[in-house]
Amino acid sequence: MGDTAGTAQVGGRPKWVDTFMIQGLALAGALLFAALVGGIIISAFGENPFFVYRVLWFFSTSRLSDFGKVLENATPLIFSALAVAVAFKASMFNIGVEGQYYVGMVAAAAVAVFLDLPTVLHLPLVVLAAILGAVIWAAIPAILKVKTGAHEVVTTIMMNGIAVSLLAWALLNPLRTSRQGLIDLRTDQFPESALIPNLGSTFGLENVLPRSVHLTWLFPLALLAALMVWFLLHRTSLGFETRAVGGAPGAAEAGGISIGATQIMVFLLSGALAGFVGLNHLLGDAGFLGANYETQLGFTGIAVAFLGRNNPIGIVLAAIGIGMLNRGEDGLALVTDLPREIVIILEGLLILSVVVAYEITRRIVLRRRQREVRAGELATEKVHGATA
Amino acid sequence: MPLLDLGAAIAIGLSYFTLISLTGLGGLFSERSGIVNIGLEGMLIVGTVMGAWASLEWGPIAGLLMGMTAGAVFSLVHALATVTFRVDHIVSGVVINIVAFGLARFLSQIFFGSTQSDRLPALDKIDIPGLASLPLGLGRAFQRMSWITILAFLITIPALFVLNRTRFGLRLRSAGENPAATLTLGVRVAPLRYAGVVISGALAGFAGAFLAIEVNQLFQEGQTQGLGFIALAALILGNWQPLRLMAGALIFGFAQAIPLRLNDAPVISLLPEQFIRMIPYIVTIIAIAGFVGRVSPPAAAGKAYEGGGRI
Repeated sequence: MGDTAGTAQVGGRPKWVDTFMIQGLALAGALLFAALVGGIIISAFGENPFFVYRVLWFFSTSRLSDFGKVLENATPLIFSALAVAVAFKASMFNIGVEGQYYVGMVAAAAVAVFLDLPTVLHLPLVVLAAILGAVIWAAIPAILKVKTGAHEVVTTIMMNGIAVSLLAWALLNPLRTSRQGLIDLRTDQFPESALIPNLGSTFGLENVLPRSVHLTWLFPLALLAALMVWFLLHRTSLGFETRAVGGAPGAAEAGGISIGATQIMVFLLSGALAGFVGLNHLLGDAGFLGANYETQLGFTGIAVAFLGRNNPIGIVLAAIGIGMLNRGEDGLALVTDLPREIVIILEGLLILSVVVAYEITRRIVLRRRQREVRAGELATEKVHGATA
Repeated sequence: MPLLDLGAAIAIGLSYFTLISLTGLGGLFSERSGIVNIGLEGMLIVGTVMGAWASLEWGPIAGLLMGMTAGAVFSLVHALATVTFRVDHIVSGVVINIVAFGLARFLSQIFFGSTQSDRLPALDKIDIPGLASLPLGLGRAFQRMSWITILAFLITIPALFVLNRTRFGLRLRSAGENPAATLTLGVRVAPLRYAGVVISGALAGFAGAFLAIEVNQLFQEGQTQGLGFIALAALILGNWQPLRLMAGALIFGFAQAIPLRLNDAPVISLLPEQFIRMIPYIVTIIAIAGFVGRVSPPAAAGKAYEGGGRI
């Protein structure tokens, strides 16, 4: 298709506009469907759905600090969804982001607590440790998949279970704080040199972005990561190989691409991205690793990746969307009698309807293309017939 | 090591065998019909919360039946997505698991006002005649056993019969091996696959209710601990055959018992407690990595059937 894809016309519109419109309509339809079913559930609890949706919107957008909270929520989700998406491009499911970022947090906490260095060295080393921990955790299922064929969905879930125990062991033994008076299971407070600066304090915006909003430098870093993932997938040879392995493994192998090597590389990259997932909580908010660390970010990341169609820009937007729902949740708890968990139900409805809507549009677009190709062949035949 | 511990370990291993084999058997029907079911974990979760609620309201039998019904209804989502809308089976399964976790958290707030329930009423337990009085504490393994465990052993017989000796079973397997040929014979593939998925949902939901009511006697968020995936591993290890699946479920069931009842055994007791807890997961990984090359999944499992028109 290549060159003709950009110039071909469908009913007077360029083809990509046509595809884009179909996809936009599908997304809108899915949102509407989720809002409708969600509305019915909300009504069943005796609340007005329009009021609930308004609360969700205003609580996450009315002040800059509210939106700062939204971006704070979005930060780990962008990393985790990118990790899922990268693997997905090579037809692999990294359901182990959850465990990978746990191990990343353990490694980061160890470097943060045990090393005493100036910020310029300490912080990068802490981040590097997080990446390394997560990459090692991703390497095991990747190698097992390539060497033995063990499906990564089962092995990564098992690695998650192991990571939970590893983190508990680390907190109980080598990393446990020695300070008297702290009965909580936690590490020492990290030194300032290991922490990630807040955007609010960097730019002197504390009056609009107070310290309680943990919007840190990790957010711009997440955007940069999204950009780099896009670049990697579409402008490098590893990206080309990744998409080839994901799209047409047979053709890729025939073309001289080693499927196994590509899959391992991609999975390690996915793990590296997973390493960042726990860092905003660890280095931008808590400042120590405790037993009440944030969980589920890896799984929510899968949802965000699906919502964003595994596309870096889509992922950033979807992460902000989920971040808004999670922020709006606080509002719901204040002004309605609904259990705040209703937001999880809304998220679930959204993912389900979006996944189905995307599949339907994929087929519509595919069918149109096939029809065009057939029409094209028919036209060529006619021309040949006329000249003969 | 006191044999009493071994007896207790066998008892708890049999409980987890029950859960894994029932869930795995459900997965077997789904996958033999051609639908890969990564959503078993989610169906288990739905079974735990709904079963726990109904058990508190109307007693354990109602709880088990409610878990089964809820699992079946919930699995329709997976069937609708994969069969009717032809969504990628693993994508749908992953989404099912995420949605189930959220649904359970939501329902648990409504039913119990927290992330766990009160103590649930359970079925009366039975002592297996003869075996329950084995000496040296080994009898402990067969005392106070759940009826459901006996059911889990016996259900393999009708399962084998349905799968290998009935028209439905033959058609179900053909839908999973060669849907095009099935359709050529005038048998529609879609209803068979719906049936396969709903059977898996019912059995996984039932197993979830069993976990909450009979094993833990409470609902607690996260109590399934990846057991749905372990059931999937047992299914792979069992080469999609009911009897071999049972063998796989026994291995994984006893692996679950190690951290719960054998943490004082020689060698094992030298490890820190957290490392002992890793054993079931490590056993699963090793089993999958060691056996996966030697099994043959249903030929059409995981592939959306692209036949035109009504399938």
